[in-house]
Amino acid sequence: MLLRLGWRNLWRNRRRTLINLASAGLGLALVVFYGGLLGGIVADAKQELDDAALGHVEIAAKGWHARRLLATSLQNPDELLKKLPLPADAEVSARVVVRALASSAHGAQGVLLHGVDPAAERKVAAYLRDVRQGRELDPADDRGVVVGDGLAERLSLSVGSKLRLTAQQADGEVGADVFRVRGIFHSIAPAIGKGHVIMTQSAARKLAGLPAVVHQVVVQLADANQADAVAAAVVQAAGAGVEAPTWGELLPILKSMDGLIGLIQWLIGVFVNVVVGLGILNTMLMSVLERTHELGVLQALGTRPRGVVALIAAESFWIATLAVALGLGLALPLVAWGEQHVLLDFSQAMGEGMEIGGTSLRMAFHTRLSIGGALQSAALVYAMTLAAGLWPAWRVSRLPPATALRSV
Amino acid sequence: MAVVQVSQVVKEYHDRGSAPVVALRGVDLTVEAGEFMALAGPSGSGKTTLLNLIGALDSPSQGQVRIDGRDLAGLSPVQLADLRRDRIGFVFQSYNLVPVLTAAENAEYVLQLRGVPKAERRKIVAEVFAALGIGELMDARPPQMSGGQQQRVAVARAIVAAPAVVLADEPTANLDQASGRALIERMHQLNHERGITFVFSTHDPMVLEQAERVVHLVDGKIASDVRKGGA
Repeated sequence: MLLRLGWRNLWRNRRRTLINLASAGLGLALVVFYGGLLGGIVADAKQELDDAALGHVEIAAKGWHARRLLATSLQNPDELLKKLPLPADAEVSARVVVRALASSAHGAQGVLLHGVDPAAERKVAAYLRDVRQGRELDPADDRGVVVGDGLAERLSLSVGSKLRLTAQQADGEVGADVFRVRGIFHSIAPAIGKGHVIMTQSAARKLAGLPAVVHQVVVQLADANQADAVAAAVVQAAGAGVEAPTWGELLPILKSMDGLIGLIQWLIGVFVNVVVGLGILNTMLMSVLERTHELGVLQALGTRPRGVVALIAAESFWIATLAVALGLGLALPLVAWGEQHVLLDFSQAMGEGMEIGGTSLRMAFHTRLSIGGALQSAALVYAMTLAAGLWPAWRVSRLPPATALRSV
Repeated sequence: MAVVQVSQVVKEYHDRGSAPVVALRGVDLTVEAGEFMALAGPSGSGKTTLLNLIGALDSPSQGQVRIDGRDLAGLSPVQLADLRRDRIGFVFQSYNLVPVLTAAENAEYVLQLRGVPKAERRKIVAEVFAALGIGELMDARPPQMSGGQQQRVAVARAIVAAPAVVLADEPTANLDQASGRALIERMHQLNHERGITFVFSTHDPMVLEQAERVVHLVDGKIASDVRKGGA
């Protein structure tokens, strides 16, 4: 009868109840939606490292990440890769990395050469999937290169243009050769568009005078959160001469941002719930105080003090249940839809991408649904609503029944 | 057997910043089982205060109140609530039915507090409603009923758990004369048929006429205690 009585009491003042429900429900919807949006931004930044040619784990010879010397390389990369315990669904690409000077008849520009297996590289580098002029790189084409649109513009390159590349070789000699532009890609990261040249591994090795080595093995994982475990397993399997920093070590700002956004999300949740909770406390207080006489009658009939508290708690329970249904009903479909579709697109106003912490963030945002986070927020609504009802109920339950009955 | 024993009871009310108001000044009263008695007196004489003390709704400043021989002093709020639930029925001046419950649910509430199973509750409530001539009101909500009907439902709620004593505070004050008379006659009938003890506070002459014992309170003291029929 307690829940039935609580339910019916809820509708004694329909307008007040609806306002309560709307504030708590919309507050919850806001928290869940905001959490989904922030979660989406962080997840995109962590997961979509291929916009920045980065990996969740990057395997290299020890010391390479600090100085990026041509001579600091991984020997026998094919054999090494075979013995590394990488997840079956990981995307892996090995690169020969060479600093070079690119020149055409119209100018010169310092660039970073990536000697790659084109089929593997296009899976970890988003820009190689966005070749807007010409074609993608052929794995057998040691005379061809693919360049970014920024570099093409700077050096007035088009498909078929000649590009001269000059690099200092490992033995100190200078290597130079002329290549033909096969394709021009687009990257949301301006630095990549202006400064990256893609060629085959064999062409890069020949230009830099290198044997069959690579400098960097980029590993992208299905779940960025596995990075620490994978990196530890790689180092253990590969031995002391290999380092395997994770995205958190390569991009410490992004890692900090991840934690900071979690904190911001929590603070917003608390703030919204406190504001909503004060509103509910106010209305529950009014609702209880204006029924003090009636609660005195129930006490006179033999209801124990905790029975009075339980009755008000039943009302709070219903408010919380309806508010959670409303809030999750509004927010979850929107957040779920935003996982598959662009929910907010600021690319017109702010440009395609923004460099944050060494990676590139697209300005078209998705959301990330976190059922656990939504349930946590819902639990907070329950806790807050019950707490808001319990205090006035406790106060009234402590009144002597005769005093409560004298209340008008 | 004494259902209610009040000994040397004093009740003072203290309001902040003003002198204490003495509502009862050393009252002694014993109510035997099966009595149909009225507490009479002008407004402010202490009728309702005495009824509240007998009903374990308030505690005396001095003196002792016993229900069924049990001293109320020192009982916890939970024990007092259990005592009210098990031994005392209340009828209030303004009915005080819970407006969101039906008439039957209002009466059932008391039985539910005592842990009576649902089917038995329905049976007992139906029987009491029939005895009070309000069987057709079982599913009506208080706002749909007249004052007289609501007060009969309140009486049903008060007696449904077979209490030791029913305390009625000005039960006819908000009723027209015919409804008030019908209600008192029905309560008197219950007193005779079921042996239920009734204590009224009233200044309604019709109630005083029906009462078998009238205790007059003046200025917080018992001025007279008259049993009709020479008892």
